[in-house]
Amino acid sequence: MTAEHMTAEHMTAEHMTAEHNGDRTYDVVVVGAGVAGALIAKRLTHAGFQVLVLEAGPSTAWTFDGYTEHLDEFYTAASKGPESAWPPAGNAPQPDTADVRSGGGYFVQRGPNKYGSSYTRLLGGSTLHWLGVCLRMLPEDFELRSRYGVGRDWPLGYDELEPYYREAEWEIGVSADVAEQEHLGIRFSGGYDYPMRRVPPSYSDQVLGAAVDGMEVTLGGEPFALKVRNYPAGRNSIPRGDYQPVGAVDERGDGQALAADLGQRCAGNTACTPICPIQAKYNAQKTLAQADRGNLRVIDKAVVSKILVDPVSGVVTGVEYQRYQDPGSPRHTRHTARARGYVLAAHAVENAKLMLASGLGGANAALGAGLMDHPALYAWGLSPSSVGAFRGPLSTAGIDDLRGGSFRGAHAAFRFDIGNDGWRATTGAPDTTVAAAVTGQGLFGASLRGHLEATLPRQVRFSVAVEQLWSSANRVTIDPRYIDPLGNPRPVINYHIDDYTLAGMAAATDVYKQMFSRAGIEDATDSGNSGWFPSAGYNGRVFHYHGMGHFAGTHAMGISAADSVIDADQRSWAHPNLFLVGSGSFPTMGTSNPTLTLAALSLRTAEKMIKELGR
Amino acid sequence: MSRADQTRGQLDGGHHRGGRSAAPVLDAVSVRDERTDRFVELSAFLTGYGRVELTGTGLTGLYLQTLDAVLPAGVVDELLDAHRRLPAGANGAANAGRDVAGGALILDDPKLGPVARNVILLWYCGTWTALSEAWRAAYGSSPLDASRVVSAEAYQGALQWAAAGAHPAGARQQGFGAWSLTPEGVSG
Repeated sequence: MTAEHMTAEHMTAEHMTAEHNGDRTYDVVVVGAGVAGALIAKRLTHAGFQVLVLEAGPSTAWTFDGYTEHLDEFYTAASKGPESAWPPAGNAPQPDTADVRSGGGYFVQRGPNKYGSSYTRLLGGSTLHWLGVCLRMLPEDFELRSRYGVGRDWPLGYDELEPYYREAEWEIGVSADVAEQEHLGIRFSGGYDYPMRRVPPSYSDQVLGAAVDGMEVTLGGEPFALKVRNYPAGRNSIPRGDYQPVGAVDERGDGQALAADLGQRCAGNTACTPICPIQAKYNAQKTLAQADRGNLRVIDKAVVSKILVDPVSGVVTGVEYQRYQDPGSPRHTRHTARARGYVLAAHAVENAKLMLASGLGGANAALGAGLMDHPALYAWGLSPSSVGAFRGPLSTAGIDDLRGGSFRGAHAAFRFDIGNDGWRATTGAPDTTVAAAVTGQGLFGASLRGHLEATLPRQVRFSVAVEQLWSSANRVTIDPRYIDPLGNPRPVINYHIDDYTLAGMAAATDVYKQMFSRAGIEDATDSGNSGWFPSAGYNGRVFHYHGMGHFAGTHAMGISAADSVIDADQRSWAHPNLFLVGSGSFPTMGTSNPTLTLAALSLRTAEKMIKELGR
Repeated sequence: MSRADQTRGQLDGGHHRGGRSAAPVLDAVSVRDERTDRFVELSAFLTGYGRVELTGTGLTGLYLQTLDAVLPAGVVDELLDAHRRLPAGANGAANAGRDVAGGALILDDPKLGPVARNVILLWYCGTWTALSEAWRAAYGSSPLDASRVVSAEAYQGALQWAAAGAHPAGARQQGFGAWSLTPEGVSG
């Protein structure tokens, strides 16, 4: 199969007809062309298996020209949020953080708290606008119940996953130094290091490190010394050894790839989210492009609507999907794809939704339950001198010493990201800083210019990711009253931020205030334009939080069918040839951004599938 | 530049307001047309950036077109005239950071003040901000008067990025590791 089969635009009617008359059965059908699906497709095709990937959204970013049109969307978008470069396709709708404000949108939010995160349904998935942080989970995150008496245990431990973390770091292309990351119990196998050296710290990281490093705080009676650390990032840096950084994907019908030399180093575009202009940051299209293309078929604009199951054995016999041409028109054709094995890699919410819509919720009501996020706080202020804001990858370092410890028996762990983009994420700066000076303070001319030059470079922002535990009260369900243009259910979300997380927010707030004070940062948190963030109250305090896009827990893994949806291999307990992959599989979140861990789990699942399919 | 353009430039140079007689020939050559030149002078007065810096964004024509399209007929010229009538030396004073009485003549004017502030936002942010309902009721409205980013070029050329000592997010990349460098004006 050649490159031209990869995009819908080049697919001919002949191909489609042969396909949909059932002339061909695949080894594996993968639902969703995001990072999890792409990694599994890459591994399976290289092992010689025939794989069909069905992607609900279009593949508009697959050519570099198409990708650049998304960049223009970002430039001219009035609001520069994570979705601003990636407008939805009507037939594959997606949540938007603006909906949290308006109350409308794709999600039906039943509360009591608003779920604040979004994702993207497009070839490449949400990695098109992820930040790129690739922290491993801590060993203790996998045994939270046994260690601290809260949350759940995983059916596998850190040591079992460690080899797959290494593989995932090489597949994604992660830049970091083991010497800096080896703490909090994180172990690396001997001689290992990341494929690329760490992304250089920003000037802001250096200023804050000088102020904060060595500072002591006490949590749960235990002292912790804080340190600003670079974090592992899926952004291209200086390679180690003979590693070749992977640049932009540029797949054209004529076989040319004009942009392939772009993006082999991060160039400091300060726009990881929503769009890295040169694809120096990993996105799942890179993995898909590396699949054995002779064994791969990708159909975009193909919304899987139902999983077909043999009622006696539980074996999946096919998936029904709806193919549309025009994302704005609900006109579509119906098809069935069949294979020996099936992988749902459609996203934590979409996986659960599809199972429920297929009547496969199971007897114990675990499917869809346990929805988690990192409900996150922003803290922002003005540094006494310039930190060089608005330059560099949106964040290059953080303070992660409070990710683990015995305090986790009482409240959530948390982690601070240091932003390199001033107050952009929190208030909409620099535009809002300008507007406040012009219309609020009445400044113009040289005094305006002087004010902005003295203010903007001093803007500091922390994001505080707070852990959330698995709870059956937080869930994705469906309701026949709420459907999308193709007649598929919209996710109905019940979401509550409990005291365990709120107490973590309280502790995190106290710690950031100590850090700001030590660094001489004038606190501006929750003033001005932050009023739209949803809020949650705790002991007389109000926290304004936002989602981090870290959906998890909706088909959590466990040790038996009684309490979980899948096993440690991400195989459905009820359907032996069905795998549900992605962060929906997580029984705990810890404080890591989920992509690296879900990538490691996907690679582990791919290995199990290859063994089994080869038999 | 054609001979006709040169001639017009020299003529325009002759109309130029005072205080710049030291380099009349250069000024004459650089001038496109008188109205554009007056718009650049007004913009320099409002933004605190020099005429060369503003012209260097390449956005002067786009912004003047935007104003002409969005504002009721005559308002742009009223603003340009109000700026021309400011006391001699007002520009120099504004550039030196002193509060200028002349500025109040424009910024506090109920009709021209909101427009002048929008011109500032246009230059600093690349955005047009919809005028208030009260302003539109009093002075006229246009269907084009909607808040928006004027264009991708305007977003990238916005002065706020320069004021921050930075670059537009998502464009004009500074190169690998540039974010580690000590910002301009910071000692040590």
